Amino acid sequence: MKRANFWSRTVGGLSQAWAIAAKDLRTYYFNPPMVMFGLIMPVLLFFSFSVRRGVGLSPQTGITHLMSMILFFTASTTGPVILILERRTRTLDRLMTAPLSMGCLLFGKTLVGVVFAVVVAVIPLIIGLAVFHINVHNPALLVGVIILSAMSFSALGVWFGSFPARSVGTVMMPSTLLRWPLLFVSGIFIPLERMPVWARIISHISPLTYAHDAVTHAVSGSGCQPAVLDVMLLPAFLILFLFMAVRLYRRVRRLGY
Amino acid sequence: MSPEGSPAIEARGLTKRYGKLLAVDSIDFDISDGEIFGFLGPNGAGKTTTVMMLTTFLEPTAGTIRIHGHDLPRESLEARALMGIVPEESNIYTELTAEGNLRFAGKVYRMPRKARKQRARELLEIFGLSDRAHVKAQEFSRGMRRRLTVAMALIHNPKILFLDEPIAGLDVQSARYIKTLVRDLNESGVTVFLTTHQIEVASELCHRVAIIDHGRIATIGTPDELKTSIESVQTVAVTFDAPEGDGIPSLAGLPGVNHEVKSGNGRRLYTDSPADVIPAVVNFSREHGLRIIGLNTLGPSLEDVFLKITGQEVGSVTASSEGEGKRGGKRGKGGMAG
Repeated sequence: MKRANFWSRTVGGLSQAWAIAAKDLRTYYFNPPMVMFGLIMPVLLFFSFSVRRGVGLSPQTGITHLMSMILFFTASTTGPVILILERRTRTLDRLMTAPLSMGCLLFGKTLVGVVFAVVVAVIPLIIGLAVFHINVHNPALLVGVIILSAMSFSALGVWFGSFPARSVGTVMMPSTLLRWPLLFVSGIFIPLERMPVWARIISHISPLTYAHDAVTHAVSGSGCQPAVLDVMLLPAFLILFLFMAVRLYRRVRRLGY
Repeated sequence: MSPEGSPAIEARGLTKRYGKLLAVDSIDFDISDGEIFGFLGPNGAGKTTTVMMLTTFLEPTAGTIRIHGHDLPRESLEARALMGIVPEESNIYTELTAEGNLRFAGKVYRMPRKARKQRARELLEIFGLSDRAHVKAQEFSRGMRRRLTVAMALIHNPKILFLDEPIAGLDVQSARYIKTLVRDLNESGVTVFLTTHQIEVASELCHRVAIIDHGRIATIGTPDELKTSIESVQTVAVTFDAPEGDGIPSLAGLPGVNHEVKSGNGRRLYTDSPADVIPAVVNFSREHGLRIIGLNTLGPSLEDVFLKITGQEVGSVTASSEGEGKRGGKRGKGGMAG
């Protein structure tokens, strides 16, 4: 009886989360901050730091870098944009007083980022396969890693968006300042083995490190650390960020904003 | 499952503190199933904070809330399933159509596909939005957005409806529509918790009213009980055939007049004894060659109760905020045309 109740609540919660995600996908797919911070910025960064260097950058490596950056920026942009726009228009209040848990609500918001990021990240992959004829060493791993990475980055964005601000810029600026250093210590521009010790230590707290390493494993068949570790840590980041976001909302409910 | 016969809303010792600021100070009230309950108070009195706590948006610092027997925040999901919430600001998804908004609300309330489709169509019909069902809400007028907001709150047939300033800023037609709807919903068994600044609306719709001031419930009762509680505040309303500004002297010095308020081409005279004031007004008109075209004695309005309780002087309301004819017609005890 208890088990049936648990499953019914879980399935109900997931269907509510998906309803929120589907609505957001229809509503925000062409929102200017989404296009700017989630699409244009990672492509510009890639051309600024990877292509311009032009030293030994094979199409395989280039596509790996670009996919990792798109997954990171696009997925982590949706949370701040959508949550804050909804807070401003008071539509978030509607969801916060509906019969769904905060975890389901925020998981729904996380799914939006996942779909956006996966759709955008697949574009360079298709170009890589069709134009540069790159080989993907482990396609199944790549699919799994893309989804897991998008989930953990999107949850990071949801955590950013959970700070009680009413303007996208208020959260987007500090979140960008936090995301950039992560980009530089995650082995995309400078390989981990060439980094100083302090930077390597910091790299371990960045989900991008594990996502990029896992994408490299899937595409090239080798990485800096075991692929199993990458694959296990990405969902852990998802849970951690969602937990922190739920805690933040509980605090907001207690203190008001 | 809510216990039989439990009040729709029960609040005990409800307190909210924001740092050092005590916004709501240990308030208690019960709202019966099927009641229209008005919650009035000046800005900053604690009205919004109370509603936010009742609707699970905010956690109380202390005290308990039960919604049809469900304890908050422990059983907040069960309680929320029984509530429909209409905030002051219409919070619809402007990128979605009217039907899209309703169907989305139905999904969030876990309604089966067929039921939400049917209910959405039903509500579009009830709210006169059927012909705009497939139009994006961003093209809607303020009144239509308001109607859609109320419709979304009703998608799951809630047992309690929270309405915050339901007719603020609406045209007369839309306002009347919403008021009729509130009465109809209540007749079908929905409990209504109404927050408003428009005291006439509360007076017209509510079975009981609470006035909150400085975070505490100052008074609670039926509109008539509250008016009776300050029966000493009475008014004599006199209208002369001379237009205002034609040099009508002040009537404030007449015997028994406590306070005088200009009102169109007449005056409202606050008094403890209308019987003394009326002859004085008649004498005054003879002395100054003025012709009285209207003379009414009025009991206290809910607005007078509100002003008295919240510490503002009775009769300090400007003429523009009140409709003399309406007030006279609604609460006049006696009158004569002259």
